[in-house]
Amino acid sequence: MALFDGMNATASALTAQRLRMDTASGNMANASATRGDMVDGEWEPYRRKMVTMAPQENQPSFASHLENAERENTEGVQVTGIVEDQTPFQTMHQPGHPDADEDGNVQLPNVDPLKEMVDVMGATRSYEANVTVFDAHKAMKMNAMEIGRG
Amino acid sequence: MALFSSTIDQLHNGLDGAELRQNTTANNIANADTPNYKAKKANFEHMLDDARRQFDAQKTDGRHVDFSEGDREAYTSVDRSRSYNHNGNSVDMDKEMAEMANNQIYQSALVDRMDGQFGNLKTALGGQ
Repeated sequence: MALFDGMNATASALTAQRLRMDTASGNMANASATRGDMVDGEWEPYRRKMVTMAPQENQPSFASHLENAERENTEGVQVTGIVEDQTPFQTMHQPGHPDADEDGNVQLPNVDPLKEMVDVMGATRSYEANVTVFDAHKAMKMNAMEIGRG
Repeated sequence: MALFSSTIDQLHNGLDGAELRQNTTANNIANADTPNYKAKKANFEHMLDDARRQFDAQKTDGRHVDFSEGDREAYTSVDRSRSYNHNGNSVDMDKEMAEMANNQIYQSALVDRMDGQFGNLKTALGGQ
């Protein structure tokens, strides 16, 4: 419904940013989890996860792509997936660790707390911006309701 | 004689434009973190300009572009020339926020005027 299109667009962004925040939290929580996945009978450390986003198209058809060339046709944002960061794991020499190899090296997750903090900050700011947009939208709609009342 | 003056039509156009602009800004801000998203801009001011609509010119060939812009509805355009972010995104958050604040005041003014128009009508009709 056209009346709520803008609000729905903003709502999709709020959801996406919240997922980004959750993903960063998950990464932080698992920053030293050496047993993330079982691969070929061996434990592999946790792999950092990232959220990918794309604009949400009304109808992803050939016609809509043509129309998109000039006209606005996006309604918010959508999460296209959660991908795993393929950067190499960190290794640390820790012979006493149960997951250490023969040389006493332990593989640790490829989570960089600094990166996660930047992501958390970004998600927070974006979330706040979208809340502001939502408020503005609501105020405008309520304002329009006043037409003819006075 | 028309009951509603053309002022109401103009205000109506303005309100529609304000809504389009609000939706466009909302979409831009929603996609502030989307790679390769290009910011969009709502264009509707040409609909408010009566003078341009009455521009007197003759088309001598069917392939000529219309002289008047009046028939064209409100539309959004994409500016692909800029990129404010390393990931190809061109949403300038400060600009969008400023635009939205402007638009809010603009819409509020239109609503106020629209209200005034109906108030006048009411007075003329002796409804109070």
